[in-house]
This record gives sequence, structure tokens and C-alpha cells, in this order.
Amino acid sequence: MKKVKRRANAALLLALLLVAGLAFYLVRLAEDGGAWAGYFSGGTPGGTIVDRNGVTLYASDENGVSYAADYTTRLACYHLIGDSAGNIRTGALRQFRDKLTGYNIVSGVSSGKTLRLTVDSGLNAAAYNALAGRDGAVMLMNYVTGEILCLVSTPADDPMNPSAAPADGTYINKCLSASFVPGSVFKLVTLAAAIENIPDLFERSFWCEGQSVIGGAELNCTGSHGSQTIEQALANSCNCAFGALAVELGADTLAEYAQKLGLTQELSLDGITVPAGQFDRAEPGSIGLAWSGIGQYNDMVVPYSLLRYVAAIANGGSVMEPTLLGHGSLDRAAELLSADTAARIAEMMNHNVQAAYGGEWTFPGLNVSAKTGTAEVGDGTSHAWMTGFLDDPNHPYAFVVLVEHAGGGLTNAGPVANAVLQAAVAAGA
Amino acid sequence: MPELPDLSGYTDYIVTGAKYLLPLLALWVLARCLRSMLRERYEPETWAYLVDLNGERHPVWHWECIVGRSGSCDVVLSAPSVSRVHASLQRDGGGYWTVSDLRSKGGTFVNGGEAGLLCPVRDGDVLDFAGEELVFQEVTRAEREWLERRRTAPGRFVGPGVTLLILTLFQAFLTLEFTVTAQEQYLFQICLAFLALIVLEWFCYLVMRSVRRTGFEPETIAFFLSTLGTAVAASSTPDDMFRQVLFLVLGVALFFFLGWWLRDLRRVKAVRWLAALGAMGFLAVTVVLGEVRGGSGSWLRFGSFTIQPSELVKVLYIYTGAATLDRLFARRNLFVFIVFSAICVCALALMGDFGTALVFFATFLVIAFMRSGSFATVFLAVGGAAMAGFLVLSVKPYVAQRFMTWGHAWEDVWDSGYQQTHAMSAAAQGGLFGRGAGEGGLVNITAADTDMVFAVLSEELGLIIAALAMFAVIALALFTVRNAARGRSTFYVIAGCAAVSMMMVQMGLNIFGSLDILPFTGVTFPFVSKGGTSMIACWMLLAYIKATDTRRDASFVVSRDPKTPEDAYDEADYEPGEDAGEPGKEGGA
Repeated sequence: MKKVKRRANAALLLALLLVAGLAFYLVRLAEDGGAWAGYFSGGTPGGTIVDRNGVTLYASDENGVSYAADYTTRLACYHLIGDSAGNIRTGALRQFRDKLTGYNIVSGVSSGKTLRLTVDSGLNAAAYNALAGRDGAVMLMNYVTGEILCLVSTPADDPMNPSAAPADGTYINKCLSASFVPGSVFKLVTLAAAIENIPDLFERSFWCEGQSVIGGAELNCTGSHGSQTIEQALANSCNCAFGALAVELGADTLAEYAQKLGLTQELSLDGITVPAGQFDRAEPGSIGLAWSGIGQYNDMVVPYSLLRYVAAIANGGSVMEPTLLGHGSLDRAAELLSADTAARIAEMMNHNVQAAYGGEWTFPGLNVSAKTGTAEVGDGTSHAWMTGFLDDPNHPYAFVVLVEHAGGGLTNAGPVANAVLQAAVAAGA
Repeated sequence: MPELPDLSGYTDYIVTGAKYLLPLLALWVLARCLRSMLRERYEPETWAYLVDLNGERHPVWHWECIVGRSGSCDVVLSAPSVSRVHASLQRDGGGYWTVSDLRSKGGTFVNGGEAGLLCPVRDGDVLDFAGEELVFQEVTRAEREWLERRRTAPGRFVGPGVTLLILTLFQAFLTLEFTVTAQEQYLFQICLAFLALIVLEWFCYLVMRSVRRTGFEPETIAFFLSTLGTAVAASSTPDDMFRQVLFLVLGVALFFFLGWWLRDLRRVKAVRWLAALGAMGFLAVTVVLGEVRGGSGSWLRFGSFTIQPSELVKVLYIYTGAATLDRLFARRNLFVFIVFSAICVCALALMGDFGTALVFFATFLVIAFMRSGSFATVFLAVGGAAMAGFLVLSVKPYVAQRFMTWGHAWEDVWDSGYQQTHAMSAAAQGGLFGRGAGEGGLVNITAADTDMVFAVLSEELGLIIAALAMFAVIALALFTVRNAARGRSTFYVIAGCAAVSMMMVQMGLNIFGSLDILPFTGVTFPFVSKGGTSMIACWMLLAYIKATDTRRDASFVVSRDPKTPEDAYDEADYEPGEDAGEPGKEGGA
């Protein structure tokens, strides 16, 4: 009997295995429970998404799904929110589903949470209207708080009546998920590298006769600018000057700055992955190297990354990490460049607007600092860019505007930037 | 249909209240059962003495004892001529003793004659173990009664009636929650089913009390699990509540029948071969006539009813596998059992019921280990089974598919991982307290109420109750293993341990299969999974567990007042002697 009694303990081994199995499950549940719980709720998780002013952009409950009441707002916020079919990877419906359904391990799924985004849907509508049917991307953020106030990508679709055959690029959020040839806005990167690596940069004068020969090939410029300071060269967006600087700095230095300033880094916006841009190192002394310093060659930039860099310039060199959800208690400032460099670039960008972009005439009532870009995309057309910020403590806004295949940066992206900035200042957010 | 009170105004209060109250009540029930089952002291029962020539008395504490030189024997004789495991001394339910020689070197003799197998022994007989002579002395009736009084009875510290009352409260709240969540047309049936459950458990309790048995913890645990099963059924197939209740009643009835049958060990032993034959007959019929369902052909159809004979074979299998001590040491018996097990497992594999085959195999391992005590045997069996397993995997693509999916459920959410991923998702959605009885969505998926029942519980009643369901079965295991120390016959101990092991293996495969931690085999969660035959089998397995309970007046399976052959003593005259063993004088009252 004693023998059998001892052997009976073998059954306890099974009990032990069961407990171990349960513990293993609990660990996995704690790790992945949120993902499991939300997996089958489809594209329309229960809950409500509102903008910073409480405007409902999405609502789902037992009575069904609805989006913003206003048609333009629905289209303007299409990429911000996403649609019921889950076509937009970066949309809040896909990215913030767990926050919307409110999963936690204790109470499980409690649907019906309200998620408030930092975006102002009125600004989105203003930007959408300003784009006037052209394809592109517009972002505006508060560079002091990091809050993104406007995020628009076109073409967009109406999530209430999805198009059967949407236009090309409808499902791509061009602010966050696509990279474009930057053109002259990339000169802000070359400029930062030059300020920190060429001691006599501000004493130099740059000669431009409309074109120059580098590495045996011709580099053409936007005009014949004559003798210029670096400040004038930026305002003129002089290719000769920046091409020469690029060759002098070398591909490695430029690549280092593109990386350091976040343009060729993979970034994260509230957990949304933003892909890296591209900067290929060209041969020393080659025409390719010169073009790479003025945003052509193989350069590619994601609008979000450029905005983040410009926000850093505006904010004294460090960027408050952008957010769509609003910040928690974390200190999320990241230093991209020195305060001194940032101040000098900011000053020069302000000079750009006053001297070359029409100042008060282009941006009535606003003190804007900016840089334009007209990026040749190889098919004879150009992307129009403008990025910059308001130097105004009450309205600390940084922006980026991209209008695809639109032509000149100032004439095409400028009015869109102005429209959004005017709306933002009027909203007084 | 009678008018039910309008509770619509209190819906939220009821659901929220029940949500937090139910886990609390469940925990309370389980804690009380555990305390009652595990805290009470076991006094050793002395059934007889072996008195050596020096007058020293070796107490015999079990119905089945091994005499030998080894320290693991129940009666240790240190003389070198005695074999390590020499002989077995056994008592049957009628109070008759026998001695069996276990192929000892020096031989065993009763009053000078060769003992052989099951040689009767009476009070005063001289037993000779290879030259060591001892006088067999039965314990007197008065002595027995005195010991009997000293033993603790269950329910002395933790009243089983109160525990059952708390369980009833649990059931009442669950029913109340269903009145809010269930669809109007099923409301009456659901309430009636829970009412029937409550009536049934109190009826059982009163029957036990009427035969003066106070142990009710295993039954309470089984009723707790059956309650969860009824809740799952009410949520998944509310139109089928009658069947659930019917099989529950049938299961309880068969529990009583098997328990009663197990009382008489001689009767039990006499028909073991019949049980083996029955098991093989069931399996043979199913192999030939079985209906394929969900990939496994283990169903038999009778008109509108389908049964799974493999579930009943589980009961017969344990019946066949357990053995009394004299049998335990005969190699031939173990060999026959191995062949029998192989036939059962192969038949199940042939039907494609891979999960049940696995359960049988694990139970076989437990029984084989308990009978032989050798890990070598077990490892040999595992090796053989692994080869057989590969064979099954290669001929049954359906089973192989499940193994391929194992651990990769999230990679193929809409096909091979469909059930597991939905189960995991639903389980996570429930959180600790669940979304409310009848409020889950997982029940709409095929086989959710059987194969994914842990997830259904997690989703509707919460992780706490789901985990408690698991711990309830583990509690039964702890209880059975603890009882092994005072088991009367190895038959009961082996059967009890095999039964709880079977339940645990089945539960493990069920829970962890649905959560993608083990391959998804589609076996049932004891008592909780929906399924008539499975429910009946579980209740019958419970009878084996009940048979191990030797606390005073605890189990109806254990005869209450074993008759000693002679009861000539007058109780009043009796005084415990100096050498009456450890009770001593202090307990003379």
C-alpha cells in the first residue's frame, strides 16, 4: 500500500503541468491580449473618435457606423481616420484600435471609448479645399507642444460612400507613408551641414552665372544670381551655390546630416511607423553629388520627416516629438541640431520670405519663415513644396505642403500654406 | 409560459452585480471544498496485528499490505531470510483476510501449509515468512469502534451544507443574469434547467445525509462544474436545455450506481474481465458503425440521439486497469493490461479520435506507473507510442494538419487557425470578470461549447471563473492523492488516481489546445463541455474518486460498519492495553 501511495504522487505532476500551462497562458495574455481581443472587431471597432474641438469624426455602436457629418470633413480626414474596410494602414481605426476598444487585462474589452485626436478637422477641411483637387499632402503642427493640428493627404475618398474605383494613391497617406523628391527644400539639410562644417561660410560670396560645370557636367540654376552671400543664395535657392557646397562637404557629411536630422531615419508617430527617406552617396566631385545636395539625384523625403526637422529649427534645435494623441508626462523632446545652427537657419528662412517670397503679400498678417522647393520628378513636371513655420509665440505652427506635379513651389504650395496658416491663426488653437 | 417579473429597469445592476459577485462565490465554494478535503487529519486505521515471538505487535494499517524486508513495505520484517517484497496481506469488504506469496525466496506458510495465492487467514493463525513466525491477530470490535470514533469526519470543520448553499447562491445569480441577457423564448427553459440542477444537488445531499454520509465535497465540485456547463449550454444552445438536464440526471444516477457497485471489492474483482470485454465491444462497434463528425468517426447514432461510446469506455478502461495488491506484482497481469490498452488506443486512433486516444494513453501511463512503479516501463510505453503516433500522423492528414497549425494559429486566421484564434480573441475580450453570461460571441462558432469551452467561460464569466474551473479539477486530484495514503485497497487508489489523471489530461488538452499552446485535439472539458455521453462518463469517473475517501462516514462508496467475523467482546469490558499501538491510554473515553 505504501508503494502505491507514493506512486499516486505522479498524478500531482499532471496538476503541476496544468498550473504551468496556465501561467504560460497568462504571460501570453498579458503580452498579446490587446491584439487578440481587437483582432476580429474588423475595421469598425466600437467607440467614437473626435477632433480637438469635439467634432465627431467616427462613431460606431450597436446602431452602426458613422463618420463626420460634413462631406468635406470626411474627405479631409479620410487618411487620419481610415475607412471601414481598413484600407488606410496609418488610419486611427487601424492604429489606435486598442485605445478605441479600451482593452485591458482586468476588464477585457469595453467598447464605446472616446478617442480625442489633436487634429482640428476645420484646418483639415481648409487644407483640403486649398489643394483644390490636386494630389498632395499638408501637415501643420504646434512645434511647442508637438500636437499635429492638420493632416491631409489627397486624393481622398468618402468613407460613407466608398468609391468602387478610387484614384491612384487614394489608400496612401502621403504625409506619413510615402516619400517624394524634395528638390530645394533639401537645401535646408545642406545648409545645416555647411553652417556646422564650413567656418567661413558667412564670409564667403557665391558666384552664379546661371550654370556651372561640376565633374564635367553642367549644373543649371534657376537664374543668373551673380555674387551672393549664403543668405542670398538660400533666398535665391541658388543651385550653383548649394551644388558647390555639397561637393565641398562630401557625400558622407551630407548623408550624416540627412540621417541626424531624421530624414533618412525610420520614425514613429504614436506607434505608427514612418518609413525612412533616401539619400544615396554620389561619387566625390561628381555632378550627382552636387544634385544630391540640392534635393535631386536619388534624394527622397517623407513630408512628415521634413516637418519634424523644420519644427526643430523653429523650436531652437530640438523637436517636441509630434503626436496625434496628445502627450503624456514623458519628456519627448529630441535635439536634432544645435540651438545656434537652428537660430541661423530660422533667421535665413525668415529672410527668404521677406526677400524672395513676397512677404506680407504672400502671407498677409503673418510672420512666416519658410523654404520652397520645386522638385523635378523626371517626367517634365515638378512637385511644389513649401515648408516653414510661424515665428509667433501665440501661434507656434510649423507646416509642410506638397502639391504633386503642380509646378513651382512658391506659386503652388505657397497659397495652400497661407490658407492653412490663416485658418490656424483664426482658429487660435 | 408563466409571467416572469419585469426586470428591465434593473438590467445594468444585475449584470454588473453578477459580474463581480459570481467569481467571489465560486472562489468561496472552491476554498471551502478544498479546506474541507485537505485540512482534516487522517488517523491511521488499525485493522489487525502481526505479533512476533517477542510479543511485539506490528499494526496492519490497510486492507492491503505488503510484508517484506524493504523499507517501503507496510509491515517491515528485518530478518535477512525475508525477501524485500515477500507477501501481501489483504482484507476484503466482508472482513475476510488472505495472504498471498509474492514469489518470495523463502516462501510463505499459514499454519505450516504453503500459502500460494489468496490463502485465507483467520485470527490466531501463525504466518511464517521464510522462517519468521508471526501470529495474525485481528483487531477486536471494541478496539475498532474506539478507533472509528477517533477518526475525524468530514463536515466537522467546514459544513458541506453551507458550501452547497453558497453554490446555490452562485447558481441563483447566474440564473438571474440569464433572465436579463437570454432571449425571451428561451428564458423559461433556461430557468427551469438551473432550477432542476439546484433540486438535483439538494436531493443528492439529502440522500447522503439520510444514509448518514457527510462527505459532499467531490459532488459539490462536480455540481459547480456542471453549473458552468449548464451556463455554456444556455448560452450556446438554449433550445436544448432539456437534454443537458436529462444527461445530468442520468450521470448522477450512474454515479450512485457505480459507487454502490464499487463498495464490494469481491464483486468488483469478479467482473473485471467483463468490463474489458465491454470496452472492446463498444470500440469494435464504433469502429464498424461509427459516424464521422468533425473528422473523427467516434459517434453512434440511435434515432435522433448520438452517443460517443469512447466516453463510456473511459470508465470501463479504468475499471479494468485498476488492480488489487495481489495482482499488482504479477507480471503477466501488467502485460495483459498493456495489450488491452494498446487495443483501445489503436481503435481510437483508427476512428480518428486522436484526442481521446491521447487521453487514454496518458491514463495508461499513470496506471502503468502506479502498478509497476517503474519509470522504465513508462519510458518504454512512451517510445512505443511515439512510433505509433508518427504512423497515425502519416495516415491521417486531418490530424497532421492540426499538428502543423500548432503554435502558428495566428498565421492562418481564417482557415486552420480559425478556432484557436477566435477562442483566444474571445478569451481576451472577457477580461477577469467576463462580458456577462449569455453575452459572448464565441458560442456561435462550431464546437465552441465543447472544444473551446475554456474560452467561452473566459469570455462570458471571466478568466477568474475559467481558472477556478481548472482548479476545481486540480482540487479533486489533490484530494485523491491525499486519500491514497489511507486507501483501503490499491484498486481504489489506482482507479481514483487514474480517474483524476484522465480528467486533468483531458482538461489540459482541451484548454491549451484551444489556446494554441498544445495541438488542437478536440477533447472535452470534464463536466463543462456540452455533450451527453461525456457528462455521464465524468460523473461515473467521480465515483472512483469518491471510493478513495475513507474519512469517517464520508463516502457512500465505503461501507460504513465493516463486520468483523467475531464480535464476542463486550464493549464495556474493553480497556485499551499497554501495547495497543499508538492510541495509548489518553484516549480511553
